[in-house]
Amino acid sequence: MTAGAEAVERSHDPTVGTPVLEAQDVRVHFGGVKAVDGISIKLMPGLIYGIIGPNGSGKTTLIGAITRLTKLTSGRLLFDGDEYQGAPASAVARKRVARTFQTVRLLPDLNVRDNIQLGADVRKDGDGQPFLRRLLNRSTSPVVAEAVARTNLTGFESFFPSELSYGTQRRVEIARAMVTDPRLLLLDEPTAGMNQHERAEISTLLKDLRSEGLCQLLVEHDVQMMIDTCDHVFAMNFGKLIAEGSPKAVVRDPQVQEAYLGRKWREHA
Amino acid sequence: MTWYDANLVLIQGTVTGLLLALSVQVPLRMGVFSFAGAGAYGIGSYGGAILVLDYEMAALPTLLLTTVGGAVVVLVLGLMIFRLNGLYLAMATVAFDLIISVVAINGGELTGGSTGRFGVITDFTMAQMFTIAGAALILVAMSELGRTGRRVNTVREDPELAASMGIRVRRYRLAAFFVSGALGACAGCLNILVRSTVSPLDIGFPLIVLALTMIIVGGSLSWKGAVIGAIIFTWLPDVLAVIGEWQELIYGIIVAIAAVLLPRGIYGMYVDGKRAVLRWRRRRSGATADVLAAEEERESDDPPPRVGELTPSEMGAQG
Repeated sequence: MTAGAEAVERSHDPTVGTPVLEAQDVRVHFGGVKAVDGISIKLMPGLIYGIIGPNGSGKTTLIGAITRLTKLTSGRLLFDGDEYQGAPASAVARKRVARTFQTVRLLPDLNVRDNIQLGADVRKDGDGQPFLRRLLNRSTSPVVAEAVARTNLTGFESFFPSELSYGTQRRVEIARAMVTDPRLLLLDEPTAGMNQHERAEISTLLKDLRSEGLCQLLVEHDVQMMIDTCDHVFAMNFGKLIAEGSPKAVVRDPQVQEAYLGRKWREHA
Repeated sequence: MTWYDANLVLIQGTVTGLLLALSVQVPLRMGVFSFAGAGAYGIGSYGGAILVLDYEMAALPTLLLTTVGGAVVVLVLGLMIFRLNGLYLAMATVAFDLIISVVAINGGELTGGSTGRFGVITDFTMAQMFTIAGAALILVAMSELGRTGRRVNTVREDPELAASMGIRVRRYRLAAFFVSGALGACAGCLNILVRSTVSPLDIGFPLIVLALTMIIVGGSLSWKGAVIGAIIFTWLPDVLAVIGEWQELIYGIIVAIAAVLLPRGIYGMYVDGKRAVLRWRRRRSGATADVLAAEEERESDDPPPRVGELTPSEMGAQG
């Protein structure tokens, strides 16, 4: 079965099974600014979810709230049915929630291999290396080697971030998130700065990860990539959810077209 | 007289100077701008003198007690000023160091007032000193390796990223205070055990300047930088003694030149040089070109999947 055909069969049905993540009436207010204002979403296992919306609509803030890097004003967060809105960000990461950032955040003094190894350090099952070898840091651990191969970074292992193009740096960040063996992967504009070919590769990679049962939440401005990659899309504006459903249904929603896609899309649709 | 005997005082000074430099460097490596190690040095020096002279304690238990005591005091300080950052945190720790100096001057018989305490004679040997300092250095060096090293780097460079990588940032920062206190107090106690005297002039602000100079010139991101700095700034005054009254001026010029020309210190310059050689070798062997060529080939070979092929009108029609 192709990834595309599989995607057609997958559907977002929050009434069946326990959601990986559930956000209930989440609000994040910065003084008078309501960055996220009463968002409720459910993410089911093995699906790719997307969030679209104009700049400043609260997409990144919502990801920050889910990972607890941004303080919640109110609301509940549940991971596998367990509440965690009071937990620190590091505890959320140890629940196997991994994320990438809107702007690339790699450590400048570590090479590609060590930057990715940082993600493998989170794993409770270890990274497949004996203690002494891990301490001396002489070889690439098997999980890092796998992530390097899957993100097409072979050959770049000894490069430092400053030597890489922005798109390659993004791939390193995605590899670092992947190698944590996450149950939920949050990707904030993962293909920003990438060319069309790289975007397609990332899309294929995300679909492969989905076929392995990984739940993903994507924030992305490339609407066509969202349509091709996601199973279910949320549209946000002014901190509120204005539409959700299948990608195509959401981009045809008049409210979404008005708020985000603009007149051109409305005329074509 | 052998070279070792002739330079014993300088060798001892290098060891205590190294531990003092590490007491400031370890927190800096975790992004904690703290000079509390210098205050702990005072606690170690005076604590050691008091325990030996007033309680007739042997050298090793004295060293153990003062090291743990210094670590706990600085940890408590860390808990009190935990929410501060950057320069504000640095100022709070400088204030702590000054308080230790004030207590030393006004401590009456316990601290010996402005004359300090002297006559601290124990059975402490240089072999013990080297063993203890070596063990401390190995522990610090291990914190730069592998998983711990990566995590320490992350806590310093990007605390938010560290938290999202499952690292308990607060715990690391508090550990920085604890280790800094232990190293500083250990350095101070070693100093009193080998020198036998301590006065208020031996502790306080000048120690902060000395430790900072050592790690700025040596290199602030590795224990190797602290070793380089400790050797240079313990031996430099002795080397410059031949120029007499110009010594201070030349010392200052060397520090200024190092700060301007080597912002990452001597060890940092070595690391940058090594990296430049690595890049040059990669270019020379064609490795960089190979990787980039493979990348280009990959892009031109397989036609990309359908992302981006849908036009807005197609989307509308298909829907």
